[in-house]
Amino acid sequence: MKKKLLGLFFGFMALSLASQAQDLEGTVTYERNTSYTKMVAKLPFLSQEEKDRAKMMWGNEEGDKQKMKLTFTPDQSLYTYIGEQGETDDGRWSWRQSDYVIQRNFEKGTVTELQEMAGKTYIIQDSLKTPKWKVLNQLKDIAGHICMKAETEDPTNNQKIVAWFADDIPVSTGPERMYGLPGVILELDYNDGVTVVTATKIEMKKVDAKELALPKMKGKKINMAEHDRIIKAHIKDSMEARRNPYWGISLWN
Amino acid sequence: MRHLLLSACLILCACVVEAQTRLSIKGRAVDTTSTALPFTTVMLLTPKDSALVSYARADENGRFELKNARRGTYLLKMSYTGYLPFQTEVTPADGAVTDLGDLKMKPISKELFEVVVKTAKAPLNIRGDTIEYNASSFKVPPGSTVEDLLRRLPGFQVEQDGSIRAQGQEVKRVTVDGKNFFGGDPKTATKNLNADAIDKVQVYTSKTEQSKATGIDDGKKEKTVNLALKEEFKKGGFGKIKAGVGTDKRVDVRGNYNKFDDKQQFAVVGFGNNINQSGMSWDDRQDFYGSSLFRWDETDFGFGGGITSSDGGGDGIIVQGGNIIIMNGGGGDRGFNNTYSGGVNYNFETKKRKFTSNYYFNQRRNWTNQIINRQSILADNAFETDSRSNEYTQNDNHKVQLRYEDNLDSLNTLIVLANGTINNSSYSQDLSQENRRSASQLTNRTTQDNGNSAQTLSLSGSALYRRKFKTKGKSFAASVSYVLNNGDSDAEQRSLNEFFSTSTGLPLTPLQLNLQNVNRNRQNQIRSSLSYVQPLSKRVYWESFYNIGVRNDKVDRDVFNRLEGNVRTDSLSRYYTNQIMHNRLGSGLRYNYKGTNISAGFSAINMNISGKFSSDQNSPNVMEVNRNYTIVVPGVSFNMDLKNNRYLYAEYAGNVQQPSIRDLQPIIDYSNPLYITQGNPDLKPTVNHEAYAGYQYFNPSSFTRFFGNINYNYAVNQVVYNQTIDTLLVTRTRPANVSGGQRFGTYLNVGFPLKKNKANISFNTSINFSRNYTLINDIENRTNNNNYNWGTNLELTPSEKFTFYGNANWSYSDVKYSINTTQNQNIWNQTYSGQMNVKLPWESYFNATFDYRIYKNDRFGLDQNIPILNLAVYKLLGKAKKSEVRLSAYDLFRKNLGITQGASGNYFTQTRVETITRYFMLSYTYNMRGVKANMRRNGGF
Repeated sequence: MKKKLLGLFFGFMALSLASQAQDLEGTVTYERNTSYTKMVAKLPFLSQEEKDRAKMMWGNEEGDKQKMKLTFTPDQSLYTYIGEQGETDDGRWSWRQSDYVIQRNFEKGTVTELQEMAGKTYIIQDSLKTPKWKVLNQLKDIAGHICMKAETEDPTNNQKIVAWFADDIPVSTGPERMYGLPGVILELDYNDGVTVVTATKIEMKKVDAKELALPKMKGKKINMAEHDRIIKAHIKDSMEARRNPYWGISLWN
Repeated sequence: MRHLLLSACLILCACVVEAQTRLSIKGRAVDTTSTALPFTTVMLLTPKDSALVSYARADENGRFELKNARRGTYLLKMSYTGYLPFQTEVTPADGAVTDLGDLKMKPISKELFEVVVKTAKAPLNIRGDTIEYNASSFKVPPGSTVEDLLRRLPGFQVEQDGSIRAQGQEVKRVTVDGKNFFGGDPKTATKNLNADAIDKVQVYTSKTEQSKATGIDDGKKEKTVNLALKEEFKKGGFGKIKAGVGTDKRVDVRGNYNKFDDKQQFAVVGFGNNINQSGMSWDDRQDFYGSSLFRWDETDFGFGGGITSSDGGGDGIIVQGGNIIIMNGGGGDRGFNNTYSGGVNYNFETKKRKFTSNYYFNQRRNWTNQIINRQSILADNAFETDSRSNEYTQNDNHKVQLRYEDNLDSLNTLIVLANGTINNSSYSQDLSQENRRSASQLTNRTTQDNGNSAQTLSLSGSALYRRKFKTKGKSFAASVSYVLNNGDSDAEQRSLNEFFSTSTGLPLTPLQLNLQNVNRNRQNQIRSSLSYVQPLSKRVYWESFYNIGVRNDKVDRDVFNRLEGNVRTDSLSRYYTNQIMHNRLGSGLRYNYKGTNISAGFSAINMNISGKFSSDQNSPNVMEVNRNYTIVVPGVSFNMDLKNNRYLYAEYAGNVQQPSIRDLQPIIDYSNPLYITQGNPDLKPTVNHEAYAGYQYFNPSSFTRFFGNINYNYAVNQVVYNQTIDTLLVTRTRPANVSGGQRFGTYLNVGFPLKKNKANISFNTSINFSRNYTLINDIENRTNNNNYNWGTNLELTPSEKFTFYGNANWSYSDVKYSINTTQNQNIWNQTYSGQMNVKLPWESYFNATFDYRIYKNDRFGLDQNIPILNLAVYKLLGKAKKSEVRLSAYDLFRKNLGITQGASGNYFTQTRVETITRYFMLSYTYNMRGVKANMRRNGGF
């Protein structure tokens, strides 16, 4: 009986979601956190002592945080910062945010990105390429949604990416470069927690076309293959120079 | 045409074949009671690696159809909120459509779902029909054992005797990070391990030990609990020890050990050497203080320049011949040093509370033999002062620091600080000094034998309270501090002062002194500070602060003349009390937008100095000094964050420096008969107007960098020491205020790779112009010092086996004295240095550093070349390279001379200090985390 009631309860939940399904559009707010200690631990040119020292010094510090927003409809999405400047918690000191916008058009199968990397601003335009996902046997609750785990690999900077997607929001979209799962991706985890992008708020609402529009962009136009080449060269050069490549690419992932 | 037909046929055939290989998979998602589960997500995965092939969504009746799938075996996975994901292997039957019928999904137990997934936000692992779960967020009180933790987990039962049941079955084994814990008795692990150390609890069913050992599956399964430890707890710590012995009885021993986890950090450090290494390196400091190293607490709030005091603690400072010798810490690595140091540090840190405590002991014994040549420029001529001294200093310092921070709630923070220092020092000096007229004619000579022993105690305590408000940017802070400095010293001054007639060169009556100087200094200070920030709009903030402080000094100096039966000399003895009170009020605006940050404000400073001076506590003749100053200084700062790693910044501030008490006392001090000082009660505070601006750029792709800045300083009411030098070259000084002293400087640095990651080069240049005023025998002297520097750096890193770092610096100074242009000087300093690292076979390395310095000064006829070569060979030992054996040679050419030269005011000084020269050392290092061969320098991480 108990089970049946529970079933009924979940059934209603699903139904109420499904009734909203006519307009599967809205915004997801993410918090993007990069752990300096975990990043340093992966730098090949540091000794174990240097890594341990960094862990002791900075292990309890909060990471580098950014607030991001994904605006989506079933056909389009736009992912960028919330707010026009980076600032301290008290708001008294501000800094410039590097250019970073990812716009996707699923209908046309195109992606346009504005990104600052290796000291230059680029406009990257290419056709969409869905990551190759593996769907795994784990469930987790993120911002009130039960998410399933999926995994992929990014060969450009050689990292493991874990995505948690909510199949109760059946839009195949997500933050950053990730999409192509049966639901919206609510969490991304790069390289075992070096960078974690977690949804904090999900709003299903009508999206204005303006919210999906690209800002005015200035930069060198390249395609994704050229982007990958630049990143690879930057990582190789930085590692050789005993520098953390993170300091040259934003957002780094 | 025939071709066309043929190709059309082929295309058609291909389509037919294609259609046959593609198929649809149908089914219906239902629960255990066959009720439809609408809108269930259905995924098709490859069985080999769970790769997602396609997905679909069921309709409102739970029916789904996955179309257009290639023929093959799949894993069909269904997901529905509140149910266990359903998974089955599908091998499609012949035909275009495979109907799987009703697929039943099991609900997740409500308890598990609510508690594990919803409340603890812990991931659930699904393995077929069973669930393993990781539980990291179940709150247990600190100090709880794993057993207490398991009691809280849904599906777990812990019996009276400590045996554990999970999902109804008895747990036979508990492993820690997958390994058996103490022979495998589950209770040992759960009763002894601290719950704090556990990251995850995983429950799974595994084969029995027997079947694992034999490799024969007996079909029996047993419940196993695995405790995954938090990463932090896996790290024990790190540490190293080094011991070296060398020729000339050179010894270098050092060691440190650290242990830390996510809450606590513990460190010990100790070292002893006689190779002039008196401090801790930057890495050593990080290892010792841990995360507390960067916790600075500003207890005096404010902006736009502050108030500084030129008074030392009033302790341990003795004035000799106008040079201030600071007993604490002075000396640096000059001469010969024996150093012993050691300390303990403990940090405890959680998000809410942070506690730091440390104790550090430092003993240094220093032997310095030095020769100082000084040229003093007068209007009509110049004179030279040649002094030789032998000094011995012993300094023992004990320091305790405590800090506690409590984040009372999300808006309120309280920080309490306490520091204490005890310092014992003793000092002895043999000095002989001769003053000669320009014609090398000896005019006076002093031979001194001085000694001093001093004890000081410093205590300080502060409390700091910070409050944030719900309104973003609004904040309030208050602090109160108390500082106590007590110093006692007992000095012996014995001197024979001889004078020679300027006309005949014959000796005049000598002056002999034998004084005992007993000092008691008591100082206490109370300070308080308030700060308030109010946002006016999203981008503009109004900031205000107020500081108040009261300082009380009591100094009792008794000077006894040993030559006259130890009689107290009233003219040299002194008793004074004074009180300095300051108030500072400031207010300003701050603006920020997209990386442009601008702030501007004013601060008003009021200072009240009142002092009473007499030769003795009981003396009826009391002189009073009362001064009251009010100064308003502006402060502006500008920072701009430009695109692509470019930054622009500028700042201007007026800094106020209060006159020192010693300079304000209207008393003549004859204790050094060749250098008589007198105070000036009319001194006003100095205001330094300081401005700088800079730009920097770094290209992370090409590694090109540029930075440049300019700075300017203008002094109003600078305190200068006007000198009157009589015919016997006895100097009398009296401080006075002079405005117009200024300094202008600029610095540029450009660096770029010649060949990326193989060769880098950088160039730098700095130009500094300064102008200072003094009165020499009532004539105003302006000293212009124009200083030009050029430098270049070359980094060669052609391979992993060879690296070279070199730099060259040239510096030229042109010093002009307005009162006596014949004394103008040109000073040349050049430095060439290089470091070479070579990797040899068998994990051996070679390192050479070479330092070549050239000092030139035309007027002094100085042309000194000092080449210093250090060599080392070392070999890393063991598989994990945890040890290192090193043979090093220091100053192979025996050329080390501590030499410095510089011009300021109306004099030029050159100092040579005897110091450590050639020695060889054999040392052994053991590093728990492995020794790293330093072939290449880190470029920032």
